[in-house]
Amino acid sequence: MRMAAEAGDRLDWFGARSGSRAVKEGSASDARDDALLVESAKAGDRAAFGLLYERYARMVHGVLAARVPMGDADDLVQDVFVMALRRLSSLRDAARFGGWLAAIARNRANDYHRHSVNAVEWSEELPVSERESGSMSNPTGAGAAGEAAKVLSAIRSLPDAYKETLILRLVEGMTGPEIAARTGLTPGSVRVNLHRGMQQLRERLERTPAGSEGQQERSSS
Amino acid sequence: MSAGNKASAGGTGNDYLWDGSGQPDPEIQRLETLLRGYQHSGSTPEFPLVAQGRRWAFWPRMGLIPRLAAVAAAVVVVAAVGVIVRGRKVIPAVLTGWNVTQVAGTPRVGAKAMGANEGSGQLAEGQTLETDEGSQAHLTALETGEIEVDPGTRLRMERAGTGFRRLVLDRGTIHAWIWAAPGKFVVDTPWARAVDLGCAYTLHVDDSGAGLLRTSRGWVGFQSNGHESFIPAGAACATRPRIGPGTPYFENAPQALRAALARFDFADSTAEQRTDDLNIVLAESHKTDALTLWHLLARADESQRARVFDRLAALAPPPAGVTREGILHLDRAMLDRWWNELGFDDIAVWRHWEQEWAGK
Repeated sequence: MRMAAEAGDRLDWFGARSGSRAVKEGSASDARDDALLVESAKAGDRAAFGLLYERYARMVHGVLAARVPMGDADDLVQDVFVMALRRLSSLRDAARFGGWLAAIARNRANDYHRHSVNAVEWSEELPVSERESGSMSNPTGAGAAGEAAKVLSAIRSLPDAYKETLILRLVEGMTGPEIAARTGLTPGSVRVNLHRGMQQLRERLERTPAGSEGQQERSSS
Repeated sequence: MSAGNKASAGGTGNDYLWDGSGQPDPEIQRLETLLRGYQHSGSTPEFPLVAQGRRWAFWPRMGLIPRLAAVAAAVVVVAAVGVIVRGRKVIPAVLTGWNVTQVAGTPRVGAKAMGANEGSGQLAEGQTLETDEGSQAHLTALETGEIEVDPGTRLRMERAGTGFRRLVLDRGTIHAWIWAAPGKFVVDTPWARAVDLGCAYTLHVDDSGAGLLRTSRGWVGFQSNGHESFIPAGAACATRPRIGPGTPYFENAPQALRAALARFDFADSTAEQRTDDLNIVLAESHKTDALTLWHLLARADESQRARVFDRLAALAPPPAGVTREGILHLDRAMLDRWWNELGFDDIAVWRHWEQEWAGK
């Protein structure tokens, strides 16, 4: 399974130890802020929960998008937050809100597949506004949309740990430290997932003939 | 693409993939642009009121004297209750059971079969959940997490201390997503105990009692008879009857390394064969396999340990204050410090768990 055998191509996440510490300190500060918001939300402060939504919506969307079609991921984001709001009183350690919320999102995606009647293959299309705006790197919107769908499909074919982290990084635009802070994963894990996932994605994209978008497979989650 | 590959794999504070720093990787930039249209863009919705917020709402409507009267009355009541219960033993709250939902077939909780029409129930302390080859179930405990139970599984809920949960997996497969604080939830298998340290993982036990733990998020501790294995996301660890947990490895480690490691851990080998297998592991190992080598320090015998040290030190140099002599004598503080430098997670979480679960 390991793709690259040469040391030069291998991950160098040990090399950034001092950076990792800085990330941990930032994460701790974030966690404290979030813990205060969680406690306020538990006490009935809707504005606090709204702030948590603003901070975590991209993470939840990314977790869902790794597992369900994009259109449904958009719809399920609010679903996940409503579930979280209902269960908030059961969260004992407010500082673990991110990991707890991510777990709810993953389980919601699992439920989506379990209860989905239409167990058919699904394809991805970019939002209409995006296609019409012509903001893709490729000025021919349809071609860019097809390539984007192909890349997304390739990401979803990766192991769970990699596809989720890569979608958070490449689709949602989060940095590695942000991903760690929001998902509750350690910076070390995120770093490994990013680099190994990216390595496998490159190999898969290289193997896929150019322009053969084909049908998108259902992601196994 | 190879140029971009090298740029992204650098990782020494100049890592575009990690935090956007350093030389931008053109391939990653292209993917970011391409996928931007899928990004979340919804506005914050209106959320319903949370009931707890009403608890103190009556205060502002009360005058000072009524408030003082209420406080005085409360003090009297509390004092009275205190007198009544004084000397009685306080019974700590115990976590309730797991909510069980039927997913497929007819899972059984004790003698009760759960069909499609009565598809939910409780798994209480001392009870057993069994799924046959056509059954699946889903367990939920709000303050702990959720567990998918595959067909052919037998799972028991056992007594644990206040605030702790313990399941026993006799055979079969479970997929656990745990959000309880690290160390609060364990699963015992016939030959090892899996300790949640903040994670998602799959645990399988076959009919012989052999098992395999695979971590997809966070990390898990695997423990038995003094053997400790820490399994971060992307890694796995096997366990065997009468031996306990083996050495963890990343699942994308070279096949030759994994095969040699399995023989080293579990085969009935001669000393020469074990040395040969260790040589293969050392030769095939790369930086990410520091996970495996760190664990081998305590599993290799004294004659082999120095070579494991040398290989690990070459891949991930020990931090200041961690000496070769100390590691060869298995100084636990030094081993822990080296582990913390590997970038997986803080081993203090595990040491804290060891104290909390002592005697449980």
